[in-house]
Amino acid sequence: MQGTIFNIQRYSIQDGPGMRTTVFVKGCPLKCLWCSNPESQDPEPVISNRYTACKKCGKCVQVCPQSAVELTEEGVNIRRSLCDKCGKCVDTCFYDAMHWTGEVVSVDKVMKTILRDKMYYETSGGGVTCSGGEILSQPDFVAEIFRRCREEGIHTNADTCGFGTEEAVRKVMAEADLCYYDLKHMDPEKHREYTGLDNGLILRNLELTLSLGVKVVIRVPLIPEHNADEEHIRALAAYVKGLGEGVDSVCFLPYHSYGENKYRMIGRTYPLEGLRKLTEEELRRAVEIVEGFGLRATVSK
Amino acid sequence: MANKFPAVNREEIKSVQVLTPRLQKLKQQWEDAAPQVYVDDTLLFTESWKETEGLPVDIRWAKAFEKRLDECPILLRDGELLAGSLTKFIRGNGTLCAMKPHEILKMVESGKFDRKTSDTASTNITPEDLEALRQDALYWIDHMPKVSTVNASVAFEMGEEAFDLLFDRGMIFEGRGVRYSMDRGLFQNYSAYGGGVAQVSDKCIKVGLNHVIELCKKERERMMAEGDNENSHGAAQFLRKFWLLKACIISCEAFIRYAKRYADLAREQARTANPQRAKELLRIAEACERCPAEPPRDFFEAVQCVRLYHLICWKESSDRPEVPVGRLDQILYPYYAADKAAGKVTAQEAAELLGALWLKIRECENLVTIPREQRAAPGSLLPNITLCGVDAEGNELTNEISWLILEAMAQIKLSEPAIYIRWSEQMPEEFVTHALECNVEFGGGNPAFLNDKLGTQRYAERDVPLEDACDWCASGCLGYHLNSMEHLGGGHNLSQLKIFEVTLHDGFDPRTGKQLGLHTGDPRNFKTLDELMEAYFKQVDYFTEKLHMFKMISLSTEVADGPMSGLRCAMQFDTSIKAGLTPKEGGAKYPEGRTSWLGSRGMVDLADSLAAIKKLVFDKKVCSMDELLNACDNNWEGREDLHQLCLNAPKYGNDDDYVDEIYDELSTRVPEIMTRRVDPITGKKPILFIGAAAGHVGIGRAIGALPNGRVKGQPTCDAACSAMPGMDVNGPTALVNSATRGDYAHEFCGYALNMKFSKSVLNTPEKLANLSALIKTFMLRNGWHVQFNIHSRAELIDAQAHPEKHKNLLVRVGGYSAYFIDLPRELQSEIVRRSMHDEI
Repeated sequence: MQGTIFNIQRYSIQDGPGMRTTVFVKGCPLKCLWCSNPESQDPEPVISNRYTACKKCGKCVQVCPQSAVELTEEGVNIRRSLCDKCGKCVDTCFYDAMHWTGEVVSVDKVMKTILRDKMYYETSGGGVTCSGGEILSQPDFVAEIFRRCREEGIHTNADTCGFGTEEAVRKVMAEADLCYYDLKHMDPEKHREYTGLDNGLILRNLELTLSLGVKVVIRVPLIPEHNADEEHIRALAAYVKGLGEGVDSVCFLPYHSYGENKYRMIGRTYPLEGLRKLTEEELRRAVEIVEGFGLRATVSK
Repeated sequence: MANKFPAVNREEIKSVQVLTPRLQKLKQQWEDAAPQVYVDDTLLFTESWKETEGLPVDIRWAKAFEKRLDECPILLRDGELLAGSLTKFIRGNGTLCAMKPHEILKMVESGKFDRKTSDTASTNITPEDLEALRQDALYWIDHMPKVSTVNASVAFEMGEEAFDLLFDRGMIFEGRGVRYSMDRGLFQNYSAYGGGVAQVSDKCIKVGLNHVIELCKKERERMMAEGDNENSHGAAQFLRKFWLLKACIISCEAFIRYAKRYADLAREQARTANPQRAKELLRIAEACERCPAEPPRDFFEAVQCVRLYHLICWKESSDRPEVPVGRLDQILYPYYAADKAAGKVTAQEAAELLGALWLKIRECENLVTIPREQRAAPGSLLPNITLCGVDAEGNELTNEISWLILEAMAQIKLSEPAIYIRWSEQMPEEFVTHALECNVEFGGGNPAFLNDKLGTQRYAERDVPLEDACDWCASGCLGYHLNSMEHLGGGHNLSQLKIFEVTLHDGFDPRTGKQLGLHTGDPRNFKTLDELMEAYFKQVDYFTEKLHMFKMISLSTEVADGPMSGLRCAMQFDTSIKAGLTPKEGGAKYPEGRTSWLGSRGMVDLADSLAAIKKLVFDKKVCSMDELLNACDNNWEGREDLHQLCLNAPKYGNDDDYVDEIYDELSTRVPEIMTRRVDPITGKKPILFIGAAAGHVGIGRAIGALPNGRVKGQPTCDAACSAMPGMDVNGPTALVNSATRGDYAHEFCGYALNMKFSKSVLNTPEKLANLSALIKTFMLRNGWHVQFNIHSRAELIDAQAHPEKHKNLLVRVGGYSAYFIDLPRELQSEIVRRSMHDEI
């Protein structure tokens, strides 16, 4: 079985307990304004230009049969409408500046990388996380990775935005020991405004996941002027409280702009340019509110 | 088996304040003090040497030591809790002109004395001292042998061409005793004893030196009464023993008198001091009156005793006094435990005292004459401290002093001493966490972690019984040794990368323009990678044979021309007295460390180079061998395309079988070749030293561009199993997998992995637990030595630009930590380039 991934990150220490390997699959139905992995949204592999490594030698321009690559003052520009993804520019680049984001790989190949760090999962209580993109967009692939991990005694964590078919949720969660479930906004309209889709299906899938007996950590990307106001946090906490015992905790992911340069690499502009960061006080207050509902709350540092 | 000692109250340890106001003040004084050239000791040495004309050289050496201890200025500064100042200055840099008069004279004449803390200022010296030092140097230039005995012997046995292999020419050989034209002074070699250092002896501390003196006297009486009826190793040895024992007695008595001088001084100062200070001074007086003649009775006396031992071992050394402190937690714990149980000492008092010891150890500096960039360990004097370990019964030895020592290190934040933890599976998890928290606090790679099991196993494999094999500690830069049971020697090294460069040129060396190696064929005609590797292995074999001979000559001339040290005999009295030899000459319980390790450097660069050749020339055929070798010879000029392809070829450190399999083969075949020749003294296979430490800067300078993408003259990889800087891109687990892939670490010591982490990777207890698990995995996979630099890249770059703002920035280099701004520029840049494991 094959799937499309855009990265396998080893020594992941933010995607669940212990040392983990995180498999990032490609393709996401949401288009969150703050997305820090914009290259993951497109389900297909794309060619991108690592402009920091580019020496502007022009080789890629010469070899492109579609004349899609041009050299401008600012560096290499790929005209996406002309590019047929033949990859000649990638093969010719000495500097590794032109490169593929995303590749089609077999489960076997993914497992080979995963198993190289098996000892680290054992010493640290870690395991494997599948993240994205959105894992529910490739449910068979992700479920198969998880199944194979479990055969090896490796802990599995499904990191999802929750947007997928019921069948996809059932398939993936059947093989997951833990689920990191994102909640971005409680208000359906705001949710649509910030992510492109409303939250109805997402909330239904969350309840489904809990009913399947998977331990869930609710993860909330906390974005100033979008969902970080106290009123919203209270609404969110009240909702989570209502979900019952299956929820382990609420984890806030404070907004960062580390993904900004990636937009440039794939020829897009960053939607939240200039947005401020949260203050320590705001974070402390968010935790306090959630704790006020008798829930466990953490901040990812 | 579990931990031997009672559990530690973590809260109590974390609450201690090491830098009490008075220590804070002393630390500030040290930081503010300008280094000062200290000449009293060298003048006293010279005076004594003149007085002892005609006496046996062993006695002359002991008398010169005695004179320095009897007559050097001593002092006790306000607020000091421990006696024992190396010089009369806060940062005195001592030297012995007799050991390197030409180098000293050169400094005197240039008026520029190297200063450890920066390149911009010199160590200060008064006009009177400058003149005295000049006269001293001139005297020794007149009284030195005109010809180097080692060089004469090498030329006699191997021919003049052997010098082309040495440090300042072809640089195939590197390390100890192989400098062709260096000024080696009175005893014509590395130092008075041909390299090697004395060590603080826990055995002597335990019995007291009166006991050692008594043993020497009795043995001398026995010799007079019975003659050589025990049939020692021959008449020459028996007869020389007569003098060595005398030298031992002179040295021990001088040490005891030296301590009593401090007792007198403390009592005198107490007369006019306020009551609180008088009490402290009288405590010092009492301790110095008793120790080292008799064993310490309590914790304070033990700490004071350790301080004095470290100081006098340092003082007696002639050139590079890399005196290891040893297993400090094991030495001090029994006294501490007894005092604490009796209510005589608290954790806070102990912490302050350890802090005072720290400051005194850091005072040790010497006047370095070798230019900074040529030194093997710039910015360091290597007073290593070793903690923990498993004993012969399987007990883990972490104790409350181990905890307090780490806390003292983290709070004081001085570059030295470096701490080595003997990590074992039985070690309490909270202690590892504590060590990592202290590491984060400290920043620059202190403490380092050594694999306890492996350290013991190496000695056990060489027939050392378990009860001794497990008693080892860290020494020098990346070395280790049996605790007061071995001589500590330096290394004779082969630069593997240089041998590879020569192989690429059919045995010819572009640097010297000479055919240094065998004709193993022009690689342009090779059809496979194996052919190239076999050619290289032939060259390794050839140069190992040369080094084997060189080593025999250099060791034998050291013995023939150096004095024996009574002090070192005393430090290992339990075997030295009977043998009538110093540890170096065979008086140690075990000879393993005696001959020094056979080094092997540059393996990672070599594996990467071979991988690039395999990929580009043989597998993908994107270029010919001719093109690639020409590009290297031209230092990539005009072939930036090939240069980039080489840099992007598979690199060690990424858990990539393509290159790691090559590294495996090298790491198996090269030791096999190098250990084929027995160690001349033990008759067993030598222990290999593979660490590059900071020597990689010097080694790199002699080597041209290579297929791994390095440019001419660039430093080689920093440690034995660290990746090419910036090339390990798959994260820490991949690097550790590469570094622990094969089962060869037990053949090597110095086999260190440097890892660099950003602070944000270690800012929560969960993340620290992950790093702890990473160490555990490294050790379970039979890794030997791992250490962590923890800071941000921005900080390092800023420190290069604005050294004045980063005076206290500490980094781990090889086997030690140093102030970043002290390091040569090339080494700084190399550290900046190392991959930092950060969050994505």
